[in-house]
Amino acid sequence: MPLDYRRFNGPEDSVSYKRFTKGYLKSYDELYKESLDDKGVRKDGRALSEARSLFARTDMVSQAKGSSYVELRKTKVVCSVFDPREIPHQNEFSQLGQIFCEVKFAPFSCPRRRRPHVPDAEEKALSVALRKALEPTVCRHMFPNYQVDVFIYILENDGSCLSAAINAAGLALADAAVPMYDVITSCTVAIVGEKMFVDPTEAEENLATISPSTPINHGIITLSMLSELKQISDFTQVGSMDVECVVKAMDILDKECARLVPLMQKVLVANVLKCFETRKRLEEEANEKEQLLNAKMDEWKKLLKFT
Amino acid sequence: MAGLLLSQSEKLFIVHGVQDDYRSDGRSNLDYRPMELETDLVDTATGSARLRLANTDLLVAVKTEIDVPSPDKPDLGKIEFNVDCSANATPQFEGRGGDQLAVGIANLMQAAYQSSQAFNLKQLCIFEGKQCWKLFVDILILECGGNLCDAVSLAVKAALFNTRIPCVKAILMDGGDVDLQLSDDPFDNKLLDVGTAPLLVTLCKIGDKCVVDPSAEEESCSVVSLIVGITGTPSCYSDQENLAEVGGKFSTIDMNGPGSVAPKTLKDAINQGIVAAKLLDKALAKALINERKENIRTKKSSYGFLK
Repeated sequence: MPLDYRRFNGPEDSVSYKRFTKGYLKSYDELYKESLDDKGVRKDGRALSEARSLFARTDMVSQAKGSSYVELRKTKVVCSVFDPREIPHQNEFSQLGQIFCEVKFAPFSCPRRRRPHVPDAEEKALSVALRKALEPTVCRHMFPNYQVDVFIYILENDGSCLSAAINAAGLALADAAVPMYDVITSCTVAIVGEKMFVDPTEAEENLATISPSTPINHGIITLSMLSELKQISDFTQVGSMDVECVVKAMDILDKECARLVPLMQKVLVANVLKCFETRKRLEEEANEKEQLLNAKMDEWKKLLKFT
Repeated sequence: MAGLLLSQSEKLFIVHGVQDDYRSDGRSNLDYRPMELETDLVDTATGSARLRLANTDLLVAVKTEIDVPSPDKPDLGKIEFNVDCSANATPQFEGRGGDQLAVGIANLMQAAYQSSQAFNLKQLCIFEGKQCWKLFVDILILECGGNLCDAVSLAVKAALFNTRIPCVKAILMDGGDVDLQLSDDPFDNKLLDVGTAPLLVTLCKIGDKCVVDPSAEEESCSVVSLIVGITGTPSCYSDQENLAEVGGKFSTIDMNGPGSVAPKTLKDAINQGIVAAKLLDKALAKALINERKENIRTKKSSYGFLK
């Protein structure tokens, strides 16, 4: 892996001291008990099927055509979308427009390790997953031979960052007035045995990725949906689980995605209203200025007549 | 495949055929095309396999190296996948043309082999926390005739089945160093347990139904395909009879292509994937065990590397 030579990297085999602290030396059972108590309440006080409260807004980056910000408690994601431009380095004409996605973690975003400044395998995989989720959503035949750039910056990662990124990208694309078929929403579920953690935190995701000693189901599923059209635009699963588990998780995620749609619509409506208000205000200001100018002009004309 | 042009009526013919579970080459929706498999070809690798599925030709070689286990997983070995798209396969792979495809396949394989229920990395441990084996699985694409993922996963499983790892004794010396003792006997080595290793099945959505192993014509009729990684059945690969009936679980699910699917189609497709994977796994096990027996009985007369 390429190293960043501008900073002191430490010896090659150095390990973060955090690795030896109590929090990291916990066994699987301890971690499991910690994430879910006897009453079925999670560490942050949520029930198993309860997603985190979502904060979303558009119009975050003034330089971008469209942008958004999505926050799921400690998962914070910024997305910006730029104007279509001609696809660089391409010889053939492409009938469909392309979407270029780039997901980037802030160096300080992850609790377990520092992120390198060069894109690593996980970032690339997330970028591909994001592109796959957005491709069926955007009316790509409307801008042939052009590409729309979607940039995601993950400020803090506390689990479900892919679904947060997809939600943010959907909002930003709508804010940039890119034609789309439907509102896209996404949700993640982490599975440990019989328990399904909806909208997992980073600790819960970590627990679901560790392979347990017994052959129980475990893993993470992310699903993104166009709820009105009842279409799944992307589905990714890792871990190990049987059919019943996948089907059950799909039903849960389906509902969760549908639940997010009115929230997204609310944000978008607020965005449109805000746009109208700004335009109105600008028009009024322009009118006022014009009137002032006209008045000045009349004054000058009068002066000219006198002389 | 690029350059393949089908008229509307030809496409309709294929779609109607798939609807009636009868494809243009006489297969049903669950059938694979015939394939050719050879193992133990490359002397310089620890394990190797070559697979030819219709026009797709692959060579997989496994190299082993001694490495230090990662601090969060002291008792696990490592496995790494590398895909090389040779420009021999198609001119599009020239330069960096095949990179995206190569990274995509490698990531998919990595995800499929992640869980210990899919591939037990504990068998690669030499001395906990100090030394482990690292397997480098190099996948060379010699000819590209569609359905790459399935072919890659089959060839990788065959190559791992063929891999022999030398028996190494590790002794902890003073000062925390590990001393490795290698046996003098070159035949003193162990085979890997690959019974549960996952197979990838690509399900190409044509109309409302899905087909496995699509031909190039069928691929051009479909906008989205689903890739499922399904763990193998260990009882097929060994003579022991008391093995528990495990396997047949999903280790990865992914979607490919610009389209989207309805939830019902997805559920049907994953069920179909499991059936196809189980049949495929049984056939592969039979072929591999046959090949191993033949290799023991008679030294294979070698004729032409790629035949």
